[in-house]
Amino acid sequence: MLAAGDALALWVSVKLALITTVILLLLCTPLAWWLARRFRPGQALLESLLALPLVLPPTVLGFYLLLFLGPDGPGGWLGPLLNRPGLAFSFAGLVIGSVVYSLPFVLQPLKNAFAAIDNDVLDMAAAAGASPLDRFFSVVLPLARPGYLSAAVLGFAHTLGEFGVVLMIGGSIAGETRVASVALYEHVEAGDYASAQRLALVLVVMSLALLWAVFRWQKKARGPL
Amino acid sequence: MSLCLDIALRRGAFELSVQGTLPERGVTILFGESGAGKSSLLRAVAGLEPCQGRIEFDGERWQGRAGTLLAHRRPVGLMLQKPALFPHLDVIGNLRYAARRAPVSAERWEEVLELLSLAPLLSRRVQGLSGGEASRVALGRALLSAPRLLLLDEPLAALDQARRQTLMAVIGQVAKTIPVLYVSHHLDEVLTLGEHLWWLRDGALAAQGEVNDVLAGPGSPLAEHRDAAVVLRTRHLRYEPEHHLLVLALGASEMRVPASGPGGDTPRLRVAARDVSLTLSPASDSSVLNILPAIVDDVRTLPEGQCLVRLRCEQQWLLARLSSYSRDRLRLAPGSRVHAQIKAAALV
Repeated sequence: MLAAGDALALWVSVKLALITTVILLLLCTPLAWWLARRFRPGQALLESLLALPLVLPPTVLGFYLLLFLGPDGPGGWLGPLLNRPGLAFSFAGLVIGSVVYSLPFVLQPLKNAFAAIDNDVLDMAAAAGASPLDRFFSVVLPLARPGYLSAAVLGFAHTLGEFGVVLMIGGSIAGETRVASVALYEHVEAGDYASAQRLALVLVVMSLALLWAVFRWQKKARGPL
Repeated sequence: MSLCLDIALRRGAFELSVQGTLPERGVTILFGESGAGKSSLLRAVAGLEPCQGRIEFDGERWQGRAGTLLAHRRPVGLMLQKPALFPHLDVIGNLRYAARRAPVSAERWEEVLELLSLAPLLSRRVQGLSGGEASRVALGRALLSAPRLLLLDEPLAALDQARRQTLMAVIGQVAKTIPVLYVSHHLDEVLTLGEHLWWLRDGALAAQGEVNDVLAGPGSPLAEHRDAAVVLRTRHLRYEPEHHLLVLALGASEMRVPASGPGGDTPRLRVAARDVSLTLSPASDSSVLNILPAIVDDVRTLPEGQCLVRLRCEQQWLLARLSSYSRDRLRLAPGSRVHAQIKAAALV
């Protein structure tokens, strides 16, 4: 029912969202822990900086990333690592852009989940002989599970819906940087409303299914008290 | 000596500076008003609160110039006023959490379950436990971490009298093999459990030693307490079932206390200052069971026409609370020879 080009764009979107979410969960775990447990000097400035993508127009972010990742930008050295002149207009560049753009959506739920963990419980784990790493896996991770779920869903969904940043740094190279939201925009530009309808419907159904699965799972996991 | 402390820690305007030595076994009560630094001291011993100075346990250096032994490597069992059970685990999961990370034999596991009657709770969720049940699980978890030092921070504060008695008995049992440092501000717990007492005031140890010496000895801040009391250490002589009386030896004297059974070998007797009266000659026609010779050591005037007399009786301290009127009538002064009538004594 979808044209081959649209299916490919959808696949690029999903791949981008998955990779970005995994990277963000790994990156934000230590960061959120560091931010959640104690107030540190310079923390307010750092947190403002990390929350900037929430308020900035995506095109502003995309513009700076374009300059940063271009062959002559400060991040230009990243390109040759992947045998390219620069990472602008590449899938790797899109991943970097998405990580920056979706970071606050993953960081915040993790930070809240960590902050809600009772210090006494962690102290008891230490007294029971659990090392810091052991405490993280045996107490923090299970207690922060709902936070991780929210973080993963928000990060994934937000990356899937991204448009402005992608347009600025990715362009629309089929199979590489042409994601579903960009493909949809191009259909509308070309007056092909029928294709646009189909693609839009698939995106709506996918997002709905994802959210529905999560809400169901959360209800089950909470269980009767 | 088991635990040797010489530490200092500072939190804002509060300063704690403690030098102390814990006996090799038995319960040492860490006593003091709230805000005296009791919990901070306990947390420092557990390695949960950074501090300066030196901590040694059984010859091992836990803290010193060479660095600090991390909390999880110190062989301590910890229990706080709040049970702080792991909310994502059931009861058996909470107990296993400790047991898996410590050398605990199958026999010890069974023993602890038995001691605290935990078997019926094992499959329960911790959210559904009553206060008393949660405390038992928390104590069980502390014991199953195979501690060589048990640290308890007001563990019974949230419990009713009956449950306190049960858990105090268990703690007393544990203290026969390892040292227990027990934070409390209840005189009741001091008298029931304490063999040694650390009196913490304004961030420093104001007194430390045998419980009676701290309770009644010269300069004791506790002697003026409304419920001031001492604990006499006695020896079991015999049980007289026809009178329901336990006959105990206190030095060369005999004491009789009501009891429902023979009891242990070295019973401790709790004697409140207000249950002791003094006579100059031994009354042979008194209904009071216990009349012991004693020498007045000190007489302190209290408010509202009361006074507190400290007595030396069979090498132990005894406190008597009298009216100042009686003191003047009997002309009590240090060195006076008197007879102490003990109107009530309770086994603890």
